[in-house]
Amino acid sequence: MFRGKLIAAALTLPFALTSAQAVEMGDKDEPIKLAINEWTGQHIATHIAGETLKRAGYDVEYVTAGYDAQFTAIADGEIHGTMEVWSSNAPDLWIKMAEAGKVEDIGPTGIEAREGFLYPVHVKEMCPGLPDWEALKACAPLFATAETLPQGRLVDYPADWGTPGADRLTGLKLPYRAVPAGSEGALISELKASVAKKSPLLMVFWQPHWALSEYETEWVNLPKAEDGCFSDPAWGVNPDGLNDCDFSEARVFKVVWKGFDEKWPAAYEILQNISIPTADQQAMMGQIDQEGTDLEEVVAKWMDDHPDTWQAWIAPAQ
Amino acid sequence: MTSAELTRRIGFATAPPAALAWLCVLIFAGVVTFAKTSLPWLQIYPASGVIPLADWVNAAIDALVSVVEPVTRGIALLLEWPMLGLRDLLQWTPWPIALLAVALLAFHAAGLRLALLCGVALVYIALAGFWHQAMNTMALVGIAVPLSLTIGLAAGIWAQRTKIGAGIVPPTLDMMQTMPTFAYLIPLLVLFGFGPVVGLIASAIYACPPMVRNVRLGLTRVPSEIAEAARISGSSRYQQLFWVELPAAMAQIKVGINQTIMAALSMVIIASVIGGFDDIGWEVLSTMRKARFGESLLSGAVIVILAVVMDRISAAYAGRGRAQVGTTAKSWQLSPWTWATAGLVAFCLLLKALGLDLAIDGPAWAHEFAAWINTQLDGFVASSGQLLTDLKNAAFYYYLLPIRIGFSQAILPFTWGFTFTAEMQWGYWIALVLLTGLLILRGRWRSGGALMVAGYLLFFGLTALPWAVFFAWALLLAWQLGGCRLLLFVGGALAFILVTGMWERAMLSLYLCGAAVAMSFVLGASLGVWAAASGRVSAVLRPIADTFQTIPLFVFLIPVLMFFQVGEFTALLAIIAYAFVPALRYTENGLRQVSPQLIEVAVEQGCTKSQIFWQVKLPLAMPAILVGLNQTILYGFAMLVIAALVGTTGLGQQIFLALGAADTGLGLTAGLSMALLAMIADRMLQAIARQRFEGMQ
Repeated sequence: MFRGKLIAAALTLPFALTSAQAVEMGDKDEPIKLAINEWTGQHIATHIAGETLKRAGYDVEYVTAGYDAQFTAIADGEIHGTMEVWSSNAPDLWIKMAEAGKVEDIGPTGIEAREGFLYPVHVKEMCPGLPDWEALKACAPLFATAETLPQGRLVDYPADWGTPGADRLTGLKLPYRAVPAGSEGALISELKASVAKKSPLLMVFWQPHWALSEYETEWVNLPKAEDGCFSDPAWGVNPDGLNDCDFSEARVFKVVWKGFDEKWPAAYEILQNISIPTADQQAMMGQIDQEGTDLEEVVAKWMDDHPDTWQAWIAPAQ
Repeated sequence: MTSAELTRRIGFATAPPAALAWLCVLIFAGVVTFAKTSLPWLQIYPASGVIPLADWVNAAIDALVSVVEPVTRGIALLLEWPMLGLRDLLQWTPWPIALLAVALLAFHAAGLRLALLCGVALVYIALAGFWHQAMNTMALVGIAVPLSLTIGLAAGIWAQRTKIGAGIVPPTLDMMQTMPTFAYLIPLLVLFGFGPVVGLIASAIYACPPMVRNVRLGLTRVPSEIAEAARISGSSRYQQLFWVELPAAMAQIKVGINQTIMAALSMVIIASVIGGFDDIGWEVLSTMRKARFGESLLSGAVIVILAVVMDRISAAYAGRGRAQVGTTAKSWQLSPWTWATAGLVAFCLLLKALGLDLAIDGPAWAHEFAAWINTQLDGFVASSGQLLTDLKNAAFYYYLLPIRIGFSQAILPFTWGFTFTAEMQWGYWIALVLLTGLLILRGRWRSGGALMVAGYLLFFGLTALPWAVFFAWALLLAWQLGGCRLLLFVGGALAFILVTGMWERAMLSLYLCGAAVAMSFVLGASLGVWAAASGRVSAVLRPIADTFQTIPLFVFLIPVLMFFQVGEFTALLAIIAYAFVPALRYTENGLRQVSPQLIEVAVEQGCTKSQIFWQVKLPLAMPAILVGLNQTILYGFAMLVIAALVGTTGLGQQIFLALGAADTGLGLTAGLSMALLAMIADRMLQAIARQRFEGMQ
C-alpha cells in the first residue's frame, strides 16, 4: 500500500547510508527461529520475513507459539523474533520482558490497523441512523438479548485481550452491556451467524482480518480519538468520563530477542527494514482462509511478484 | 414468626438437633436478608477483607524461579532431546510403514479385526493430510507416557508401602485431578520455559493419577500367601516387591497403563494451547479460531482416531494380561513376530533408499468436504435461526435466569410476560412457609427444610445470595452428612475462596456448573436407563459417548456458537455435551449388574415391571449411579474452563486471564477455588453414598 511503501522507503534510507561498509552476516549456520502465532495475517508476515531472510542467505525455522507465551521464549533466545505485536492488545509479558531489557521493539510491521465497533451491513436496515454512533442509543432494544435485557448487547473482545468495548460503553454512556466473546473463534461465529440469520449484531473487531473481506461490514463512526480522550475526563461528549471516543490507531510492530543484532547483524537490519503492505496482506489472507491455498504457495507467489519490494529490504544490509 | 410457632408446636424435645440447626440457619437467612442495609458485609464480602494471596504467590514463584531455574531448565533440556529424537524418527518413517507397524501391533494384541480397524483409521490420518501433525502429537505422548508411568509406579508403591505416602498421596491425587489443567500450565511455563516440554510435563503430571491408583490397588490385592511365600524363600524386600508382588499385581497395573495413556493424550491436546510443536491440537485450535467447523471436524477426527487406536491396543494387552497370568514374556520373541518386525524395518529402509516422498499435504477432497460442511451449517443457521433463538430464550427465561438472579429479578414483562408484583411475592412466601409448615407437622422436617432452602434460593438467585447465608447452609449440610471432619473441610475450603476474593466468580461458576450438571445427570441417567433396557440402544449409544469423550470439545463449540451465540447458554450446552457421558455409563452399568436372581425373585412374587424397576433395580443400582453423579460433577467442573472460550464470566475466565498474563498467582488461586468447589461437591456426595450404603447393609 502507498503509505506502507513510504514507511519502507523512509526506513531504508538511513541504513543505506550506514551500510557503506558491509554488515556482517553473523552466525548464518544457526537457524533464526520466527514465531508463528494464532492468526493468518501473522503467518503471512512471518513467512514473508522468513523467505526474505532465506534469500539473504540465512537458515530460518518457524516455531508455533501462543501470542502471549511466545515472549518467555523470545526473552530466553529460544525464539528469536515475532512479526506482529499489536499495541492495542499487548500482552503483559511483552511489557514485562521489554522493561527487563530482554526483548526489543524493532519498528512497525507496516500494517495499518484499525479497531472499532463493527456491524454487518444488513444491520443498517434495522437501525437506519448507522453508521453514526448516536443512532446506537435509540437502537439499543434492537440489540438486546435474553442475557443483557433491557440493555443492548455489544460483543466485546475475549476478556484476556482487555475490555475496550466495555470501556467505551461507559465513556459514551451507551445503554449497552459488553459480553466478552471468549475467543476469536467465538467472535467470527457471531459474525457468521448474524450474516446467515440476518440478525442484529454489534461487535468490537479489528482489521486487517480476513473476515472483513469475506463479509460485508461497516464501522460505527465514533468521535475521533485524541490523546485527551484517554487522560482528560472533560474531553469529549461525556464531560466526566474517559474513553468517550473511537479507538486510537493501534501500532503493529516487530519484536526480536535482545541478542539478535549481535548474532546476526545483517538479518537484524533486514528485519528492521521489512514493511508489509496492508492491502497485500489482506488479499493473501483471503487466498489462504477462503480459497484454501497453501500459505507457502501464496507467500512464494508474492515473493516472485514483488522482487523489488523485498530486495529493497535486503540491499542495505549487504 | 410463623416458623417459631411451628417449632413450639412440635416441641423442642422431639425435634432432632439437625432440624433445630436448620431452623436457626433459616432464621439467620431471614435476618441477613432483612438487614440488607445495616449488615452489608454479610451480603457481599468486603474488599478490605481480601488477602492478596495471588501477589504473594507471584512473589514466591519469582523468588523460586531465580533459584531453581538452572535445574528446571536442565530438566527441560533433558526431556527435549529424547522427544525431538522420537519426533524426527516418526517424521522420518514413511507413513505406510508406521501404519503397518501399528496394524501388526494391533494384530498381536487382539487379532485381525483390531488390526483392520487400526489400519483403516490410520489411512484416514494420512489421506486427510494430518500425518505430520499426528506424529508430532505421538512424539509428545510417547515421552509423556513412560514418564508418567514411572512417576505413577513410584508414587503408587510409596503410597502402599509407607504411612507417610498413604497420608500424602491420595489427597494430592484429588487435587491434581480437580485442579483445572490450564491453571497449572502457568507455573510450568514460568519454571520450564516456553515450548513443547511444558506440555509434556503437564501431561505427565496430569496422567499419572490413574497409574498411582491402580498400582496401589493392585499391590493391596496381592494375596498375602504369595508375599509370604516370597518371604519364606528368603527374598529381600526389593526382590519380593519387584519379582513377586508387582508381577502378581500386573493385571491391575495394566488397567492403570491404559488409563494413563488416554489421559496423557487428552492433556497433550489441551497443552497445545501454548504452541511450539505444530501438533494436531494446535491444528484444531487454529481452525477453531477461524470458526471453521468443517476443518476442525476433520482434524478433530484425527484425535478421536489416535485415542481409539491407543485405547483398543493397550486395553487388549491389559485384558490379555489378566487372562493368561503365568505365561512368560519371552515365548514370542523368536516367533514370526520377530521376522515381521525385521521385514518391516527392511521395507522401510528400502522405501527410504528409493527416496519416495509419500507425504500428503492438504488434499483437495478434505478441503471440499470441509467447505460442504460449512455451507450446510450456514444454511441450517439461516433457515432455523428464529427457532434456535426461541429455544435459547426459553432456556434462559425459565431455567438459567431464575437460578442465577432469582424469581425476584428474572420475572419481567419481557421474559415471563408479567410483572412479579409485591402481592405475588407475598403470595410466593406465604405458600412457601405454609407448605414447609405442613411438611414439618407431618414429621417430614428434612423435606420441609429442603423446600424452604430451595424456595429461598430461587427467589433471590445463587449469585445474589448473601455469602453468609450460603456459607451457613453449606456448613450445616456438611456437618449433617459427614460430621465434624467434613464440616472443617467445607469451612476451610469456602473460607479460602472468600478471603482470596474469588467468591463472586465462584458463585457464577457454581451456578453455571450446577445448572449444567443437573441437566447432564437427568439426560445421562435417562439414556443410561434406556440403554440398560435394550442392547440395541446400548450399542448405538456407546460409540456416540466415546466420541463425545475423546473429540476435543473446541470442535463442538463452533456449531453451538453459531446456533446460540456467545454466552452462558452455549457454555451450558458445551458442558452438558461432555458431562452427560459418565452419568450414562454408570447408570447403565449399575442397572445391568443387578443380580438376575433378585429380579427373578421379584418376578415370582408378582411384581409389575415398574415395581421391579423402581423398587428393586433402581435402589440396588443406586451406589453406582451416585458414583456416576459424582463423576458428572467433576467432568462439569473440568469443562468449565474450556467453556470460558465462549464467554462465561466465572472462575474459568480468570484462569484464561491468568494464562494470558502469565499471572501464576491468579491462575493458581482461581484454579484452586475451582478444585475446592469440585471437592466439596465430591465429598458431600461420597458422604451421602456412605450413609446410603451403610443403611443398605
